[in-house]
Amino acid sequence: MKTVFSYAKPYKFYIVIALILMLLELVVELMQPLVIASIIDKGIVEKDQDVIIQLGIVLMALSVIAFISGIVNSYFAAHASQSFSFDLRQAVYGRIQSFSLAMFNKFPASGLITRLTSDVTLVQQVLYMGLRIMLRAPLLVVGSMIMAFVVNPKLALYLVVVFPFLLAFLYIMVKKGVTYFGFVQKRLDRVNRIVQENLQAVRLIKAYLRGKYETNRFSEVAGDLKFDTVKAFRIMEIILPILLFGMNLSLLAVLWFGAFEIRAGGAQIGELVAIVNYAMRMTGAFSMFSFIIMIFARAKASSERLEEVLLAEDGHEQEDVGEDQPIRRGEVRFDNVSFTYPGTEEPVLKNISFRLQPNEKLAIMGATGSGKTTLLQLLPRFYDATDGVVSLHGRDVSEWSLRELRKTIGIVPQQSLLFTGTISNNLSWGKDEVIQDELADAAIKAQIHETVERFPKGYYTRVGQKGVNLSGGQKQRLSIARALVRNPSILVLDDSTSALDVKTEGALWEELEQEQATMLVVTQKIRTAMRADRILLLEEGRISSYGTHEQLMTKSELYRQIAMSQQEEEVDEYV
Amino acid sequence: MFDAIRRPFGHEPILTKEDLTKKKDKKSERAQNWKSTLLKIWKLVDEQRLLLIVVLALVFVSSAMALLGPYLIGFIIDEYIVPQSFAGMGIVVLWLIVVYIGHSVSLYLQNFWMVGIAQQVIYRLRTRLFSHLQRLPVSFFDKRQHGELMSRMTNDIETVSSTLNTSFIQVFSSILTLTGTAVVMLTLSPLLTLLTLIIIPLMYVSIQWITKRTGKLYKEQQKAIGELNGMIEETISGQKIVKAFSQEPRVMEEFREKSENLRLAGFWAWTYAGFIPKVMNFLNNGSFAIVAGVGGILALNGSVTIGVIVIFTEYSRQFTRPLNDLANQFNTVLSAIAGAERVFSIMDETEEKDDQVFNVEKKLEGEVVFDRVSFKYEGSEEGWTIRDVSFTVGIGQTTALVGATGAGKTTIMQLLARFYDANEGEIRLDDTPIAEMPRETLRKQIAFVLQDPFLFEATVSENIRYGKLDATDEEVIEAAKGANAHEFIAKLPEGYDTILTGDGSMISQGQKQLLSIARALIADPVILLLDEATSSIDTVTELKIQEALERLMAGRTSFVIAHRLNTIRKADLVLVMEMGRLVEAGTQQQLISEKGIYATMLSEAKL
Repeated sequence: MKTVFSYAKPYKFYIVIALILMLLELVVELMQPLVIASIIDKGIVEKDQDVIIQLGIVLMALSVIAFISGIVNSYFAAHASQSFSFDLRQAVYGRIQSFSLAMFNKFPASGLITRLTSDVTLVQQVLYMGLRIMLRAPLLVVGSMIMAFVVNPKLALYLVVVFPFLLAFLYIMVKKGVTYFGFVQKRLDRVNRIVQENLQAVRLIKAYLRGKYETNRFSEVAGDLKFDTVKAFRIMEIILPILLFGMNLSLLAVLWFGAFEIRAGGAQIGELVAIVNYAMRMTGAFSMFSFIIMIFARAKASSERLEEVLLAEDGHEQEDVGEDQPIRRGEVRFDNVSFTYPGTEEPVLKNISFRLQPNEKLAIMGATGSGKTTLLQLLPRFYDATDGVVSLHGRDVSEWSLRELRKTIGIVPQQSLLFTGTISNNLSWGKDEVIQDELADAAIKAQIHETVERFPKGYYTRVGQKGVNLSGGQKQRLSIARALVRNPSILVLDDSTSALDVKTEGALWEELEQEQATMLVVTQKIRTAMRADRILLLEEGRISSYGTHEQLMTKSELYRQIAMSQQEEEVDEYV
Repeated sequence: MFDAIRRPFGHEPILTKEDLTKKKDKKSERAQNWKSTLLKIWKLVDEQRLLLIVVLALVFVSSAMALLGPYLIGFIIDEYIVPQSFAGMGIVVLWLIVVYIGHSVSLYLQNFWMVGIAQQVIYRLRTRLFSHLQRLPVSFFDKRQHGELMSRMTNDIETVSSTLNTSFIQVFSSILTLTGTAVVMLTLSPLLTLLTLIIIPLMYVSIQWITKRTGKLYKEQQKAIGELNGMIEETISGQKIVKAFSQEPRVMEEFREKSENLRLAGFWAWTYAGFIPKVMNFLNNGSFAIVAGVGGILALNGSVTIGVIVIFTEYSRQFTRPLNDLANQFNTVLSAIAGAERVFSIMDETEEKDDQVFNVEKKLEGEVVFDRVSFKYEGSEEGWTIRDVSFTVGIGQTTALVGATGAGKTTIMQLLARFYDANEGEIRLDDTPIAEMPRETLRKQIAFVLQDPFLFEATVSENIRYGKLDATDEEVIEAAKGANAHEFIAKLPEGYDTILTGDGSMISQGQKQLLSIARALIADPVILLLDEATSSIDTVTELKIQEALERLMAGRTSFVIAHRLNTIRKADLVLVMEMGRLVEAGTQQQLISEKGIYATMLSEAKL
């Protein structure tokens, strides 16, 4: 909890003021019985109407003070807790942004989403409550305790006897609560996950009529959430009855032994009554106490989950570390590179070596699952090579600062992922400051400009999540334009023209060939590969063949096979 | 200084003047909303109602026990301790212990069952919302961010959940104590009671003042959480792009804005909501002062005794405490209502309607007719996506859809699967308009391999089995072999039992496509829709699965979107689309000899 609550530090001022106001309110309230006593003693008994009116006004004034401090406390407490959670969210989200991709396997999206909303809210609540009521109950208990000791230490001792037991009990309960509420939050993650899956796969589920099946799957998860929530709360609900029972028993003890004490002359009846009164007041405070314990345990469980993210030691990318001078020449080298995905055993890439001069174009081919995409991912350091060196402009990629490295590389992924926003927003992802002309320029090269212009709102047309309202080919071309906007010295295209028709694709390649960039292109098509300077053929993670189209045609059986599979088409076309 | 207070974090307050000066009828409309929302929640309590009555009875018992305890203590003091005669005291003490046990047990049981009831209600609410989502049309999802909808399922429902756990008992026990003390007070001194009761109208007015503000603010807060959730979900699932383009600062900035909105709404909601107990306290203290002052004066002329004043000040405290609790509860109830309203607003969305005029069991043959079909996406500004398209596909024929991207090929398939309904014209299947066919009947006959293959976070075999839930292991392997996926599956760490993680980074895009083809193979449909089903698969592998695909397509009406001539060549019918219109139709041979658009496309492709 320490790490999480360190984010409240900047709001010390608000917290302290809120606490002072809370204490002020409490003090004022405690003064009331004293004033009442004087009204009775000095006013009524002495038959002095002026005193009664005066003290009545004092009483009124006291309540006004309590009221104002309460209202102001409300403002400060809300300010402190909301700002605290704001900073906390910011920190957690920032942390997530610095995660390397491998970390997302450890923390799936659904779990991170729950943490950023539900868990933060629960932690925020505990601070807010703390600034408003939390101290009240313990103070009331401690205050009553002290008063009881002042009145008669011997009798008060009977009251204290149960305290160690109750404290031990509370300690155990908090521990239990943290565990069980932790389970609840984990269940919430799963609910989030199933809902997310269902939203992403709406069409698939509808096409296969799996609505009922999914509902059953969800019912199970929601049922688990219910079960664990009920369990956690039922355990926490034990606190109050036990606390009350313990307190009541000690009250009885006071009464019982007090009675004998009085007979022995060790105490006055008045003292006994007073202590019984204080004990009852404590009991009253206990119901608030159990509530506090509950939200505290819940918040602790949540803050542990937040700390998992905040304190995750490894798996961070540091943007600014490393060589920061601009990479001007897109010279790419792979030296004996091997790669195994974290958490797996089978290497995906084995001893890959090749070299690209600036502005050279490399086509990467190979069967499905031969490691083409993985190879591309090593360049922008989504993952680091397990063995060997990937270098850019004469330097190991790990020596460049990530920001500089990724700024140099224009990536077009296999799945053209667009974000909610306008087309212009999406294209300008490629660069921080862009002028409209640059966007249009990139769009023209990517063969999407005309299409965009035809939309009534042009570049300001809104794109739905993941580009739902665009066709597959439109998404791919926008995604290419997005990469071109930044004028990259290295362009990485991962089979990103698959949904384009032949004519558009041809025009696109004509444009791309003009680009002053080193290109790494994954493709299935011989026709595209032939445009490249060199072709790299992968087979189960190894380089099966490397060279020009002509060279590969003569030396690689596999390449000939691929060419043959497409040759058939060529022949057909003439039929 | 004042300005800084009015505008914390440098933002204008959310509430505008208009919000606060709303007309009366607006207010009653709002009350109506609350009523209907509460009523809807009440309906979910359903068969738990009997148990709820038991809980209420237990609240009654525990309240009585809570009163009985102090009474017995007073009794012990008066009867035994003061006169110093302890004979019989033991029995009363035993009774007291019984009362204490009774109190604790009834307290525990009422909470024990209440949590059960509340969570059962929440469970129902959640699953109903979910199954309702399943019945909403695709167009509903196009318009919304996933994370925003997820927030309703979690954050909004959670606010209802935590309220339901405690509020019900609290409200009931408050009302109980309230009536109890009021009765006792009235018997002691009607005049002072009236003075104490003055605070009730004051309380009403001030709560009105506050809820007028918090009502809207809580709604804003839940909305802000939803939007934040939407943003988080989108950027985390698109993390690769964020990284590739080094856009971390940009998304952080966007996050900050959204988070700021939440802070602002939350801040004002919590500040105003925080007023409630303070106002209550003030009224409470005020009445305390009035009782003391006026009571004191009355005592001077002897119309009340000092004892009554002392009791009254104590009672007025006891009287206002439950009121205070009530007021506090009122507030959490408000936030829960804001959450519940957002949940119910989804439930009020119209479902895909199914007119049951068609025999569900009927096996379809698969003749497809498009009759002057036009379609435009809801809210789209781009005009017709499909315009006046007519064609007929015979039973078991294969149709290839060709045309530039954005020509409407995918839309044709989606119309056939009734993801959307045509705006004009009619689509008929075996002479029955599909609009009159229950979606279930229709989709049972269709297997759709979508452009973007989607895999669930489940094992490989579960993912394939999605096409036919009762498929045996042999069938799954058979389908995988047909899709040429068996080989790579066998190499996965756990083979068919390997769990594919959400991102699916363990397997490649092409392998995902192979799995979705396997999924379609196992479904054994009458109509097969393949939308770029092999786009990420290398040509050698494609050739290998070509045979399986052909076998699959044989005897089934199939629609194929592909750019590879290989596939198109074998089609019985080629439909050439251009900007939503069907411009040419015929066999590949016919189209080539016609020397129309298709022929030009072919020759250009060779350039």
